[in-house]
Amino acid sequence: MLKEKIVKIKEEAQAEVENAKTVEDVLQLEIQFLGRKSEFVGILRQLKDVSPEEKKEVGQLANAVKVEIQTLLNQKKKNLASTFDAEAEKIDVTVPAVKLRKGHLHPLTQIQNEIEDIFTSMGFEIADGPEVEDEFHNFDALNIPKEHPARDMQDTFWLKSQSVTDDKRNDTDKNTNERILLRTHTSNVQIRYMEKHQPPFRIIAPGRIYRNEALDAAHEHTFHQFEALVVGDDINVGNFKFVAQEFFSKFFKKEIQVRIRPSYFPFTEPSFEFDISCTVCGGKGCSACKNAGWLEIGGAGMVNQNVFVAAGYPRNKYQGFAWGFGLERLAMMKYKIDDIRHFHSGDLRFIKQF
Amino acid sequence: MKYSYNWLKEISGSKLSLEELTQGITMHALEIEGVEKIGSDFENFVVGEILEISKHPNADKLQLTKINIGNKVLDIVCGAKNISVGDKVPVALVGAKLPNDLEIKEAEIRGEKSFGMLCAKDELGLGSDHAGILLLNKKLEVGTPLKEILGENDYVLEIKVLPDRAHDAVSHVGLAREVAALDSNKIEYDYDGLKLAKKKTSSLKISIENENLCERYIAAKLDNVKIEKSPEWISSRLEKCGIRSINNVVDVTNYVMLELGQPMHAFDFEQISNNGVAEIIVRGAKENEEIIILDGSVKKMSEEDIVIANKQGALALAGVMGGKYSGVNEKTVSIVLESATFNQTSIRKTKNKFALQTDAAMRFEKGLDPNLAEKAMVRAIEILTHITDAKLDGIVDEYPAPVKPWTIKLDLNYVNSLLGENVPVKVSQEILTSLGFEVKKAGKNLSVTVPTFRLDVQTQEDLIEEIGRIYGYEKIVPTAQLVSIKPPVINEQRIFVRKVKNVLVGQGFSEVYNYAFYSQKDSENAKLQTFKHLELEAPGNLEQTILRVSLIPNLLKNVRENLKFAKQLHLFEIGKVFLPSKNFLPNEKNMLCGLVVLEKKPVKKEQQSNLQQTSFFQTKSLINDLLLQLGIMNQNYVSFEDGFEQISKSFCHEGRAAEIKLAGSNQAIGCLGEINPLVLADFDISSRVAFFEFDLELLQNISANENEFRAIPKFPNVMRDLAMIVSNGQRVDDILKVIQEEGGDLIADVDLFDIFDFADGTSSYAFHIMFNAGSRTLTSEEVDVITAKIISKLESQLKVQIRK
Repeated sequence: MLKEKIVKIKEEAQAEVENAKTVEDVLQLEIQFLGRKSEFVGILRQLKDVSPEEKKEVGQLANAVKVEIQTLLNQKKKNLASTFDAEAEKIDVTVPAVKLRKGHLHPLTQIQNEIEDIFTSMGFEIADGPEVEDEFHNFDALNIPKEHPARDMQDTFWLKSQSVTDDKRNDTDKNTNERILLRTHTSNVQIRYMEKHQPPFRIIAPGRIYRNEALDAAHEHTFHQFEALVVGDDINVGNFKFVAQEFFSKFFKKEIQVRIRPSYFPFTEPSFEFDISCTVCGGKGCSACKNAGWLEIGGAGMVNQNVFVAAGYPRNKYQGFAWGFGLERLAMMKYKIDDIRHFHSGDLRFIKQF
Repeated sequence: MKYSYNWLKEISGSKLSLEELTQGITMHALEIEGVEKIGSDFENFVVGEILEISKHPNADKLQLTKINIGNKVLDIVCGAKNISVGDKVPVALVGAKLPNDLEIKEAEIRGEKSFGMLCAKDELGLGSDHAGILLLNKKLEVGTPLKEILGENDYVLEIKVLPDRAHDAVSHVGLAREVAALDSNKIEYDYDGLKLAKKKTSSLKISIENENLCERYIAAKLDNVKIEKSPEWISSRLEKCGIRSINNVVDVTNYVMLELGQPMHAFDFEQISNNGVAEIIVRGAKENEEIIILDGSVKKMSEEDIVIANKQGALALAGVMGGKYSGVNEKTVSIVLESATFNQTSIRKTKNKFALQTDAAMRFEKGLDPNLAEKAMVRAIEILTHITDAKLDGIVDEYPAPVKPWTIKLDLNYVNSLLGENVPVKVSQEILTSLGFEVKKAGKNLSVTVPTFRLDVQTQEDLIEEIGRIYGYEKIVPTAQLVSIKPPVINEQRIFVRKVKNVLVGQGFSEVYNYAFYSQKDSENAKLQTFKHLELEAPGNLEQTILRVSLIPNLLKNVRENLKFAKQLHLFEIGKVFLPSKNFLPNEKNMLCGLVVLEKKPVKKEQQSNLQQTSFFQTKSLINDLLLQLGIMNQNYVSFEDGFEQISKSFCHEGRAAEIKLAGSNQAIGCLGEINPLVLADFDISSRVAFFEFDLELLQNISANENEFRAIPKFPNVMRDLAMIVSNGQRVDDILKVIQEEGGDLIADVDLFDIFDFADGTSSYAFHIMFNAGSRTLTSEEVDVITAKIISKLESQLKVQIRK
């Protein structure tokens, strides 16, 4: 008896769920078929009056039907809920989106980060030094003669000695003849690092430098340099070529050849100019390299023994190489920037391109 | 300097082609800045004789000529006026190609036929002289191909010589040594053979008063000199190298300078002698002593200048420029040639002081080998007696302390170790020998004697450079060095800076780089003049005279300029400021400073509901986020009335600025505010500008490197909303304090989520208060009790009225 009733309820439910049109209809059916006051629940209440055998048999059936109806209801609900009227919701997708405020790192920061990461991966330490420097660390210790033209007013920004004279100064042991200046290269970091560390070591010193130059598209008085210094017992020219080649190949993400030519710097002996194979044509010759196949990048050399001595090392105990180049030049090559003055212009129309 | 390719080949004996030679110099010696072709093959150029000159019937400025070229007579139209009948001139025949690629064709010029062209010097590619048709020696036979007279083609090489080689390589002999060494040869020029003849004269006396000023002074007297034009071979070489031909004597001194690198000078014996004797004194100038030099100007000298003088006074500014009245002129018969070595520092000072960039001064200031003075003197006498009928009267040589060659012991292992390449010993020896060094092998060493003309070679490393560069750096194989695997020390400061930059860029800030300088006026405009600034000793530009103590002034200029193209701005800079200190070097601080521009007009303080959209509060929100990302959460914003010392930040708006301090600490880590509107006006900025500023070192010190995990709440939050009417002047901070104090540990979070302003100046604030006990579920009743406590405290202590 009860069994037939249950089966009948199931069939009714199947038919009605099938015909339901809205989610509300389904909810109504859920109450109608499985709610507390439904016929189905009424049947379940009658179970207590039947024999244990029948109770077991009908109970199982009732449970199965209940699960079945519930599943049907859920399925129907889901189906109804996921239908929508695309036409009614249609939008004009060509309306412009709100512009997000986007920040930009200065291109030199980006170049510097890249360079630092490459050198760090090669086991270099990043060293820092002051931008206002004394004559010893900027010139004397680097074997630059007292009469060297680089020390001229027109090349170096000399500073008036500090005007804190009202109190006693802490520098009584300093040579009072020594003057202070804005560093003209990052090579002062070489000396400052060696004064505190013993070889072997590998460092880079990126930073800002100053030269008293007239401004034009190719000249700035404030720019950035990158300096590498490697010192050990038997560091040689071949090691320099290797590091330079590795660095530039990683930086330009292609195989780069390094060519060195004789040059002169007081702080290195031998000294080199170094060129890299043209990043555009690879050395065949093109307009970027003026058909030379090579691009001039910077200077390098084996550390002059006088520099080691000035930094406190014994003469002829160590060998090392030093090299440096301008970050602006690299950035200008990489981004095809035609005027060096953009870098310090503070013009966001420039910076936001990077 | 400019070098003649032919001259170099003549001295070096090299057989290298132009391309091989320039490539060799570039890779092994010096940097070539340019190569210029001189002259042409002179195909279809011949010597012609002018037979007739007549006026052109249709053009006043042109003439008709008849030119005999041997096998025929040509009609040629010509514009130059310097020709006359009987002159021998260069004729470009029909079919000739000028060096500028112009081809000569039969032409009709204003109705008259012309079958060729008479050439000026520049048209032949022989310099820039366009003064008229080049007049040739009248003894030349007509029809002679011009090639036979004007010599072959040449190339001018423009080469950059760096200071270390300025004493020898700025000469054809010096560069020729490099060229010869490319093929492991020595130069053909007999340098060692140039030895001073011992011929005395009583008409010359030399005294060097101060040996520090002049290491050597050689003077030679030549008689029977006739001042005239130099022969073509001298003047053409001078012109190729960029020196104008003057007369035979002056030209010879210049020729010798180009050949050997030694500047020389010639005096007129009559002008400097008394009673047939020239007594030359080399001395320091007297204070305020005056001299009229060759260019006609009067120079007032001081003790650091060197003069060549006689008893009457200064004759020349030694090593820089001759005197106006002591030099040779057309009437000169006897000359005194000078070849000397002056103190380089003194010459440099004189040169710079008087701004006299003469060839001589630029050579002397680099330092010269005193033995070179002798070579030059011998060579100059040789040429002068060859090209004129001059006779050497005698020579005086004052050389108190002769310089001798020196010897360096070169460790062959060191050569290979430093270059990273095994250079065969024989090759090293060959290289050094070809460059003029004397080499002896001594066990594992070479004993190398350095000729005095290589002043730059003083150490083993100098010799290794010579070997390395001639051997060829290109042959050195790139080799990875063997290194310890000890990881490098991490530069925490740079990592921190990078993190800060990345956060700010993520928030929409763009990074600028500014100069480290600004002007006195900028500092006044930014109200920074009370700070001591470091000053440039000789600023080239009045806009940049002092070193920055704050990033603000230059950033404000960025704002002014960028507001021409945008209405709202977010920009920042990280850079050093320079604060004078009691140490020898100033205190350099790495600062972070950002500026935000949103609104043009200030938002009134009564408009509480709008304030949060202003640049100040937007900036505050960005800073809170920045600090959070740096692991800093316990910051307070301290206003002026709470003790913000304005003195340090007088560029900011007193009513809209706060110092940022950590809870429980009195040290400010940074600052936030609007820029003082008066400062903005001085910088021509018409929008409101908010700023923030941090000392990066301080920030890094308090930034937490690692975040620590906090347990996720196991029990649900209970939330209550509290709305209140607040009269103007009631600070939110005080409300929050009351809530925190009364709620104690049960307060999980408080959030001011709505502000509404009333017309009477009061505002409504609505807060979400989140409660959580952490270890158990809070009951609604408990929360109600606490909320009631909070409400009663708020109403009794503050000017608020809870909305119920």
